[in-house]
Amino acid sequence: MKAVMIIYNQAHNSLVTAALDKCTVRGFTKWPEVQGRGSHKGEPHYGTHAWPSMNMATLAVVEPEKLSILLAELKAINDSAQQQGLRVFVWEAESAI
Amino acid sequence: MRIYESAVKKPVTTALIFVALVVLGLFSFSRLSVDLYPEIELNAVTVMTTYSGASAMDIEQNVTKRLETSLSTVTDLKRISSTSKDNISLITIEFEYGTNMDEAINDVRSILDMQRNYLPEECDNPVVFKFSADMMPIMFISANSDVSSKALYKILEDKVANPINRIDGVASTSISGAPQREIQISTDPNKMQAYGITVEQIANLISMENRNIPGGTIDVGTDTYSLRVDGEFRESDEIKNIIVGSFLGRSIYMRDIAVVKDTLKERSAEVYTNGERGATIIVQKQSGANVVDIADNILKELPQIQNSLPPDVKLEVILDTSEFIKDSIGSLSETVLLAGLFVMIVVLFFLGRWRATFIIILTIPVSLIAAFIYLMITGNTLNIISLSSLSIAIGMVVDDAIVVLENITTHIERGSKPKDAAIYATNEVAVAVIASTLTIISVFFPLTMVSGLAGIMFKQLGWIVTIIISVSTLAALTLTPMLSSMILRQDPKRSKSFMFFYSPIEKGLDALDNGYERLLRWAVNYRFVVISSAAGIFIVSLILLSKVGTDFFPESDNSHIGITVELPVGSRVEQARKLNEYLYDKWTKKYPEIEILQASLGLSDGSNVFMSMRSSGTHIVTFTARLCDPRERERDMFEIGDQMRKDLQELPEIYRYTVSPGGGGGMGFGGTTLEIDVLGYDFANSEMVAGKISEIMKNTKGLRDVKLSREDYMPQFQVMFDRNKLALNGLTMTGAATVVRNRINGVTASYFREDGEEYDIVVKNDIAFRTTVDDINNILLFSAQGKAVRLSEVGTVIESFAPPSIQHLDRERVIKVTGTIFKRSLGDVAADVTKETEKIEMPQGIAVELSGTIEEQQESFTDMLTLLALVVLLTYIVMAAQFESFRDPFIIMFSLPFAFSGVFLALWMTGTTLSLIALIGAVMLVGIVVKNGIVLIDYINLNKERGSSVKRSVISGGKSRLRPVLMTTLTTILGMLPMAIGLGEGSEIWQPMGISIIGGLTLSTILTLIVIPSIYTAFHAGDIKKRRRRWARDLKTVKTA
Repeated sequence: MKAVMIIYNQAHNSLVTAALDKCTVRGFTKWPEVQGRGSHKGEPHYGTHAWPSMNMATLAVVEPEKLSILLAELKAINDSAQQQGLRVFVWEAESAI
Repeated sequence: MRIYESAVKKPVTTALIFVALVVLGLFSFSRLSVDLYPEIELNAVTVMTTYSGASAMDIEQNVTKRLETSLSTVTDLKRISSTSKDNISLITIEFEYGTNMDEAINDVRSILDMQRNYLPEECDNPVVFKFSADMMPIMFISANSDVSSKALYKILEDKVANPINRIDGVASTSISGAPQREIQISTDPNKMQAYGITVEQIANLISMENRNIPGGTIDVGTDTYSLRVDGEFRESDEIKNIIVGSFLGRSIYMRDIAVVKDTLKERSAEVYTNGERGATIIVQKQSGANVVDIADNILKELPQIQNSLPPDVKLEVILDTSEFIKDSIGSLSETVLLAGLFVMIVVLFFLGRWRATFIIILTIPVSLIAAFIYLMITGNTLNIISLSSLSIAIGMVVDDAIVVLENITTHIERGSKPKDAAIYATNEVAVAVIASTLTIISVFFPLTMVSGLAGIMFKQLGWIVTIIISVSTLAALTLTPMLSSMILRQDPKRSKSFMFFYSPIEKGLDALDNGYERLLRWAVNYRFVVISSAAGIFIVSLILLSKVGTDFFPESDNSHIGITVELPVGSRVEQARKLNEYLYDKWTKKYPEIEILQASLGLSDGSNVFMSMRSSGTHIVTFTARLCDPRERERDMFEIGDQMRKDLQELPEIYRYTVSPGGGGGMGFGGTTLEIDVLGYDFANSEMVAGKISEIMKNTKGLRDVKLSREDYMPQFQVMFDRNKLALNGLTMTGAATVVRNRINGVTASYFREDGEEYDIVVKNDIAFRTTVDDINNILLFSAQGKAVRLSEVGTVIESFAPPSIQHLDRERVIKVTGTIFKRSLGDVAADVTKETEKIEMPQGIAVELSGTIEEQQESFTDMLTLLALVVLLTYIVMAAQFESFRDPFIIMFSLPFAFSGVFLALWMTGTTLSLIALIGAVMLVGIVVKNGIVLIDYINLNKERGSSVKRSVISGGKSRLRPVLMTTLTTILGMLPMAIGLGEGSEIWQPMGISIIGGLTLSTILTLIVIPSIYTAFHAGDIKKRRRRWARDLKTVKTA
């Protein structure tokens, strides 16, 4: 099982949900408002006057075989609008109850 | 879930809520009645007290003074003025605007009740009159006739007045100027003396002869019959053959001693329409009724009424107040539509997208229609004020939608899905949008609290704009994102033909952006040059202010001129008739603009309240001239009026005259007057001062029709009976006086009845026996013993002058000197006159005060300045809260002086005076102008927070905000443009507002775009250094700790 942490601009909300559905990922956890900024060019997302946009974070634990399709979907979303910002981090989920 | 989020997620609900709003608005619109002004409750009541036989001085001392003193304790009293004339005391109590008149009248009544016991015995009870705008007639219809003129009154009453009376909303119709039938018995005093018969005997006899008496019932067999003695005259001819007495055994018939004429009343008001004698039918409406509807209905009925009349009776509408209303409302509706069109063009020009333009334009109808709901709920009408408010708001309602849509488009271009972009982009600008709306509201909402006359005018404006702007913000935060999420596309395709037109525009706009960037770069580096030259411009504009005259209300051309010409007091009506003919010939030839010239002369018959309120007398001729449409003539009514004054000046026999373009009186109409009150108890001194002032006013440029309120002494004959001689002859004072009255004035003996109508039967001396003083001297007085004496034996007839009426203002005697302003500003004229009057040496106890329009002007100008201060403070508070800073709003406030410079400049260039309306425009500018500053500073701050240097923030912020600023400014300016140009009748009133807003907004926007960034840089230049220093200091304290 792989833990997939998707952190993305709120504007991608509907697309990310659609991607998860498409890959039949049923379970996930979502934080609707998180802050952050990209390591290289990414604009800050602080929800302030200067940086009004906010990020969302979705944590989904998926079967390894679904991972590549999901990543491809998410990459497509990011490519469609580079400036909005979408990052995915994947790590091993050792066990679950 | 925030409001815009739910709006985007529930498009159906959102759409339907707005559909419901529009439907409700349209429904209200269909129910609204149309009127010229919002309902104005006149704030004055008049108390009339009659005290027969008392002279003006007696009235003043015994009635007026007493009542005035006690009435001046009424709450909310503004001014109390009075006129004491022979027999009558008239006290006018003026209340502050907005006073509840019902309560005020109750107060007045209870005071009068209390005072009743202290008034002289023979004095009648004081009567309270309340005047309201509803009493003003809404239509004058003239009727001319040729052969039917004798029966005109009856024809008009039956065939015209009654059908019109039946129309819904008509309160009353009255006929004036149609001679009424009367049966005159003109006696010959010589013959009567020979037969020993008096007028009283004849009168008595006629009333005895002319009577129907029921005789009871009589049973004949099985039936009961009623018995009647019908003695009434069946024909007026019967009167001739009445036997009035016998002399030497012969019967004396009426025809032997008198001439019996079935004719028309001797003294009555005469009305001439276009030179022909006729009658006028005056129509008054019920309170609250729709003038336009009533007038339409009457006009619809008129052809039918005309058909029922004899062919020689011609009806013509002379004055139809609804016409002016319709024209004004029509031209204002055009203004609103035109403004809407301009706004649409601007939006399309800047955005170059059909869909975006559609979304923005949709907020216009939605928010404007909401205003109709307000009008219906509060029971208001569709009037000049409410429509102008729409026209003022139209340029501003799109602003919020533009800001929201612009940000949504940016997000979509960056790759968001329209739905997400709509939510998050709206979220980003929501606070700024609400803040800028609040600044507008903080300007318009205080308008609802203005008192005085201005308050009545601007209350509606304040409410309507506040409501429209609030609804537009609501629409911008819900409808705009919802529609954007539905119909905006990511990379919309533009058709080739569209690009053909639009690409040059786009290039031009880009060039403008770049040019502005270069200009800004220069301005920021040479900021002190920029700031000081801007200050210079402001100071220069202050000099302009002294060149701009001041006025209370702009004058407007309503195509009516009222003229009153007075011959010397006591002139016979024939003189007046001659004058009328002369002037009619002269004026209709000289002024082809006159469509209808109506003249009325003679004593009013008093059957109609409105007519009897006008001063009338045998020596007065009143004209009403109706001119053709202002667009069809070159001379305006003020010029024509002035020409007429010159014509009247040439006639030496005229005692005095008044020409009032606009029909005289009334708000916002026609000429303004300057009034100076000379207060003081001493008649001689105050008359002397008033005389000097009127000389000064006559010599002042721009003043016409200078008059004194104290009338000339009225010539009169007075019969002085010697009580002793009367007593010797067994006569009483009252008896003798009644005899005189019956000979000269006549006695109404009885009524002649025909077809359900009653006509007076009047007995008096034949006209040949009442034209000289000798005729009075020769009147025979009979004692109880039947002994006759001539009046000259028991009394004398002397010629004397009746004392003038005495006027009071706030319980002091006053003489008012008034003059009409012509082609000059009221403020200048007042200043000139005041300067000269100060040179007059004032006798003890005499005071001179400016009053009338100038007083109102000064009051409302002071009000406006207070309002301005309040509005500036409120906007500052709103902005300080938004920026969470004291400094930034202060910087934005720097655009205000330039707005005022622009106002002065525009007024000066167009030769408009600074009137109350122009001032309101200046107050509104505060809210509109700071909006630009908010948009600009907000974005500059944003750039700074993102880490740019101050200069870079200013330059890039300025560049990116140039288009939104220009766009919102242009929509507002173009929205006002039709108003400033002044299309149509009655538009002159609002023109100064349009001019001042356009001038102020244009200059301030241009300067704001350059000066505000410079000032901002000057204020914030040290920011980064300061922050570094503080940081270093903080770091040090941390290290040492």
